[in-house]
Amino acid sequence: MESGVSAPTGDVLAVEDLTIRFDGHGVDLVDGASFRLGRGETLCLVGESGCGKSITALAVMGLLASPPARITRGRALFQGEDLLSMPNARLADLRGNRLAMIFQEPMTSLNPAFRIGDQIAEAVVRHHGVSQQEGRARALDVLRRVRIPAAEKRLDAYPHQLSGGMRQRVMIAMALVNRPDLLIADEPTTALDVTIQAQILALIAELQREAGMAMILVTHDLGVVAEVADRVAVMYAGRFVETGPVEAIFADPQHPYTLGLIGSLPSLGKREGRLATIAGSVPPPQRFPAGCRFATRCPFADSRCAAEVPPLVEIGTPGHRVACFKAPLEAHVGGLAA
Amino acid sequence: MSAPAASSDVILSAEGLVKHFGGGRQLFTGRAPLIRAVDGVTFDVRRGETFAIVGESGCGKSTLARLILRLIEPTEGTVRFDGADITAIGEEDMRRLRREMQMIFQDPFSSLNPRMTVGALIAEPLAVHGLASGRERALRVADILRKVGLPPEHAERYPHEFSGGQRQRIGIARALATGPRLVIGDEPVSALDVSIRAQVINLLEDLKAELGLTLILVAHDLAVIRHTSDRIAVMYLGEIVELAERDALFEAPLHPYTRSLIAAIPVPVPGLRGDRQLLEGDPPSPAAPPPGCRFHTRCPYAEAVCKAERPILRAMAAGHTVACHLAERLPPAPPAVAAAPATAAKRRRLALFAGADPNSVSLTP
Repeated sequence: MESGVSAPTGDVLAVEDLTIRFDGHGVDLVDGASFRLGRGETLCLVGESGCGKSITALAVMGLLASPPARITRGRALFQGEDLLSMPNARLADLRGNRLAMIFQEPMTSLNPAFRIGDQIAEAVVRHHGVSQQEGRARALDVLRRVRIPAAEKRLDAYPHQLSGGMRQRVMIAMALVNRPDLLIADEPTTALDVTIQAQILALIAELQREAGMAMILVTHDLGVVAEVADRVAVMYAGRFVETGPVEAIFADPQHPYTLGLIGSLPSLGKREGRLATIAGSVPPPQRFPAGCRFATRCPFADSRCAAEVPPLVEIGTPGHRVACFKAPLEAHVGGLAA
Repeated sequence: MSAPAASSDVILSAEGLVKHFGGGRQLFTGRAPLIRAVDGVTFDVRRGETFAIVGESGCGKSTLARLILRLIEPTEGTVRFDGADITAIGEEDMRRLRREMQMIFQDPFSSLNPRMTVGALIAEPLAVHGLASGRERALRVADILRKVGLPPEHAERYPHEFSGGQRQRIGIARALATGPRLVIGDEPVSALDVSIRAQVINLLEDLKAELGLTLILVAHDLAVIRHTSDRIAVMYLGEIVELAERDALFEAPLHPYTRSLIAAIPVPVPGLRGDRQLLEGDPPSPAAPPPGCRFHTRCPYAEAVCKAERPILRAMAAGHTVACHLAERLPPAPPAVAAAPATAAKRRRLALFAGADPNSVSLTP
């Protein structure tokens, strides 16, 4: 399979042909995902629930439970080392240090029984062998950086004593305390109110500018994508269907699924009639179609789409790729428009 | 208060609604803190409109929705439905009235009993209100299922056999079963995926037109609100801070809080990211709302008067009311973000996609 998204120079992460199967399913839940990520870059993985974006992120972090998950093909080179075949001890050295992850629900990463200062300090002590005191000092520093008010007092707070937005900031602080080279963020702001979401996104962007941290952001929110992404990979049912620079994805969307996602967004301007919708919903894996997996929901699909898997090929601007036999649509299905 | 409307145009009016929680004696810890969830809210909803209540977590919008249906009792204030004060009537009358006012909940997973078939779930409100029985009831259920875009055969299935979007359709069917005139949706689409969200929004709009419903939507997603609503009330810490027609609210927001809410929406246009005024910090706790204007602790324009005096909601233009001491003196709102015009190819493709869209209804689970 062709490489999905390519970064110009100095890859922090290069994922090649990542393929994941779950025991009991006869089908690949992630099928041949390839992408590269350079220093300071942000790649957004976009798609609906069940499209495989979170599984991809978890696989890269080595956090997929196996069994049932099995990585049947592919590599994920992080600064030259393959995360997928690495011994657990080495992975544990990288995680929470050079490689960090944040989740949608902060309580999945925070231990309710420990004070937040101690939890953050633990990450520093574990990876850098500094004293507990030094660890606490760095925890305080990073809590201030994520703009936790009265950070000194919060060091001794338990997670349940904080609001949702605060906990999310604490989790980000914990992920960032060791200045990772790569941050994987799985819907980090989905559970938050818009004003808090805006604060968190601005904060992450600032930290990326300063430290050159690369980020994979998993999200279903195209507004957030437009806001933070350099490059975008649109996933559907485990495959990349369209990838490219963020400007190309929004200005020149090609895949019918991408068109459906963009068309279903309510416009922020004057109202423009009904929303476009994508018929039906993502099928369960055992019913993924044999050819293009979007074929069952695609208004343009024909017998070839049902039988053959369309390759991801370049279209339009350099780096913009789409996996669709009908792209560009206007050249293939003009007759339907009237 | 909203613009004066003839009383027959008003289907629901809330006056001085207050709901406080807690404050009672507690074992060991003395008094429980008094939470001022809704603190003096007044508005009218016009017949046939879509009225939106927006705000962030903890602003009291869901409590307000429950007060309107009298699912909880107000501490103070009245709610009138078709002119009758529903806060003063007995339980039996209230039950009869609930036929007319129904609710759609946020989470279609937890609001449907997993052990009842879809048919039984939809027939339940009919039975409770004694509306139809036997064969007629079955026909009504089939009819309602068709209306929400589900095949009538699905009446035999259980909720777990359906996707999130379909479950929300079932929730909507259940709300519509009694033939209500007013439907309140508490975040009816926020738990759904984007493409499914659009299906459900379109469905709600179609049903509203077909059945002549009045809709009250409680939501935090301003883009959805802008698309669906006629008038919008913005809440902050238990109070309405601004109420206006949709376009006026988005194009010329008056309250600094409304402005920051609008500025915080991520815009799906890559070129427009960046410079904007972000609110700092979290909203204060409704157990200890700040004195004066409740927004003054986060407001970039706050002055001495804002800390001392509680601003009342006052009309600044026809149908546009705001609770801000400084409304006349604030700098104009930054111009609304405008997306760059789409290229011809993109417009053509979107039109192709929308045109080829086979009526957007899924017939298989």
